[in-house]
Amino acid sequence: MPDSSLLLSITTFAYLLCAIFYLSGVVFRVDRMLLAGTFTGLGTLALQTVGLLLRWKESYQLGYGHAPLSNLYESLVFAAWSIMLIYIILEFRSKQRVLGIFPSLFAFLAMSYASYSDQIDSKIQPLVPALKSNWLIAHVVTCFLGYAAFAISFGISIMYLIKKNQTSQATARGPAALLPDLKQLDAFNYQMIFFGFLWLSLGIITGSVWANSAWGTYWSWDPKETWSLITWLIYAALLHARTIKGWRGNRVAWLSVLGFGCVLFTYFGVNFLLSGLHSYAVK
Amino acid sequence: MPQRVGLWQSLYQSLASLKLSVFIFLALAAASVLGTLLPQGITEHELHQNFSPTAVWWIEKLGLHDLYRTGWFRSLLLLLCLNLIVCTLERFPKTLTLLRYREDHIDPQKLLKFAHHKELTSRLPWDDIQERITRTVSKEFGPVRRFDAQGSYSAIAEKGRWSLLMVYVVHFSVLIVLSGALVGSIFGFKGFMNISEGQASDQVMLTEEDQTVHLPFQIRCDNFEASFYETGAPKEFRSDLTIIEGGKESLKRTIRVNDPLTYGGVTFYQSSYGSSVRRAEVEFRDLDSGKTYQLTLPYREPVEIPGTKDRVQAMQFQQNMAQFGPALGLVLFREGLEPSGSWILVDMPQFHGNRIQNYQIKVNAVEQSEYTGLQVKRDPGVWLVWLGFVAMLTGIGLTFYSSHRKLWIWSEPTPEGKSSGKVILAGRTNKNSLAFEQDFAQLCEQLHDELNPDKKRK
Ligand code: HEM
Repeated sequence: MPDSSLLLSITTFAYLLCAIFYLSGVVFRVDRMLLAGTFTGLGTLALQTVGLLLRWKESYQLGYGHAPLSNLYESLVFAAWSIMLIYIILEFRSKQRVLGIFPSLFAFLAMSYASYSDQIDSKIQPLVPALKSNWLIAHVVTCFLGYAAFAISFGISIMYLIKKNQTSQATARGPAALLPDLKQLDAFNYQMIFFGFLWLSLGIITGSVWANSAWGTYWSWDPKETWSLITWLIYAALLHARTIKGWRGNRVAWLSVLGFGCVLFTYFGVNFLLSGLHSYAVK
Repeated sequence: MPQRVGLWQSLYQSLASLKLSVFIFLALAAASVLGTLLPQGITEHELHQNFSPTAVWWIEKLGLHDLYRTGWFRSLLLLLCLNLIVCTLERFPKTLTLLRYREDHIDPQKLLKFAHHKELTSRLPWDDIQERITRTVSKEFGPVRRFDAQGSYSAIAEKGRWSLLMVYVVHFSVLIVLSGALVGSIFGFKGFMNISEGQASDQVMLTEEDQTVHLPFQIRCDNFEASFYETGAPKEFRSDLTIIEGGKESLKRTIRVNDPLTYGGVTFYQSSYGSSVRRAEVEFRDLDSGKTYQLTLPYREPVEIPGTKDRVQAMQFQQNMAQFGPALGLVLFREGLEPSGSWILVDMPQFHGNRIQNYQIKVNAVEQSEYTGLQVKRDPGVWLVWLGFVAMLTGIGLTFYSSHRKLWIWSEPTPEGKSSGKVILAGRTNKNSLAFEQDFAQLCEQLHDELNPDKKRK
């Protein structure tokens, strides 16, 4: 029986392979490469799911018994998993394989950062009292589904901006020609952002219900909490900006880039640069 | 005064505008960023230590060290609410009108101008055509409402009308959450209490003001326990508590981190622990007379040395003073003199400094007890916040997963005879146009097959 760390190491490289397939599919304009990307992505996702479940089981064997969502390592692995899961569903529904470049790249980056950074401990650790709550699971899962959707939307926005630039220069040749048209990209982007907004709202809410049961305040303006609110406000601004005449498209794409910057800061910046209640999240 | 009306109106218009909301969202985000860069609630002293005088002036002027409670931050929140209310007043009646509106006339020329439209023809008998349109559309899309005119078939099918209302649910939920927070901050309190094992108390020290609140009941800590993993990381903190009301024990409960106790609208959370001195056994030797006295000093209560007018009090305790081990801080009160005090080292009875005035002092025992640190909160607004959260999630979820879709169908027999006809379909959705485009195309295809059975078979 293989152990979870072996499966998760394989996952890391399989996502790299998947990203390479997608990227070369677009660069060399080979549909089959894109298809290989999809299959690699699906296979890796399945492998990673098994890895996560095994890790969960191993934590019981160690006597700690908790879902694999409790520290930075586990959350990064889960981030990669959610990005690919949501992306595969999006690809299945939109039939646009080209969109896979960024999600597979992000999944690879998250996995390799989790595995190779010396700031991150991949050991299964026991839970400190504050983290022993079912709300923890709900909170982490919902937040990360939101972050994952925003990561995908970031990728789509970058494609939008590239495509927009190319079209305006009337050079509709080159790799960008494979990209869906602007209207479609905008529509996918909106869907991903709204989906992410729904999950992020759920994430903030479960977090605050949890804080209320652990510390007695549903909101304490702790830096991590505040940054998740900042992220939420940026995306709320984006959803409303879309309905203003002339703001759809470019500005929305830029706001999505900004919003994803906030996601990254909430996730890493706050842990490493600011301190607060959530500082347990380091290591 | 037409000018004033103009002013009010333009103010009202800007309060109703979406550009203002986007501005407020971004302003709130930017302000919150500032608040996370500077530690909140740091003292004046720390400010002056870490920043230049000009920076301190700005920080204090803008309240950046206590940003989320400053007037200007709260004004932004208030402006958001106003914006929301005015925007709703402006749009809600229009939405209602739209929902009530039932059209009774279709202009086929207009349908051709829709982004999604399709023209079909059929060689079936006119009655059959009508029947097939109704059947297919009802099956594939939803109930069909007909209002035929002048020999033509005119109908509308609609789905998800209620989804137009969901945005209002989301917006209203924001107001509910904020009003819950307001109720909590006006009528609630937040504080903490430290209770030694075996002791009872009804006093809560407030966190934000220098004040205490008296609870209408007492709370006693029967036992506190902390357990640890082999790695040394904490595993569990628990306190066994008893509520005493009117002199009677009315409830016994154990609380843990993440598992608080609520009694009489007040909630107690396990938040910290520590130990404190209960009493000390101390020996005083009068160096002048040679007499010794054995005294029991309850913590922070003065005790008279028998036969003298001197009184002593155990004022402070340190677990490890300057690496010399535990030390008890004693104070001697003597009539006509200033009180004088000293630290008495518990583990070093020979130490020459273990002395106040003419007494050589030895601490024989220090009895400590553990105390549990409870966070205490009363928040009568919290149910409003939960209600708002539920409404918000429901609203956002349904806004995301539903859309208002409307289909216009018009058909007419061709002039040559009653055995053929043409059909125009047009559709519109309030969002997610792409999915609708696919569904619309699929519906048109279905209908095409239905209306041209011979072609389908080929
Ligand atoms: C924190 C506060 C707010 C939240 C969470 C919020 C949330 C939302 C959501 C989720 C939507 C649906 C977006 C979509 O269908 O694409 C929406 C739409 C809308 N919001 Fe807000 N909103 C907030 C504040 C405001 C404010 C202050 C205004 C004031 C003008 C406003 C005006 C609107 C309008 C007019 C729409 C409808 C846009 C359309 O026609 O599709 N919202 N809002």
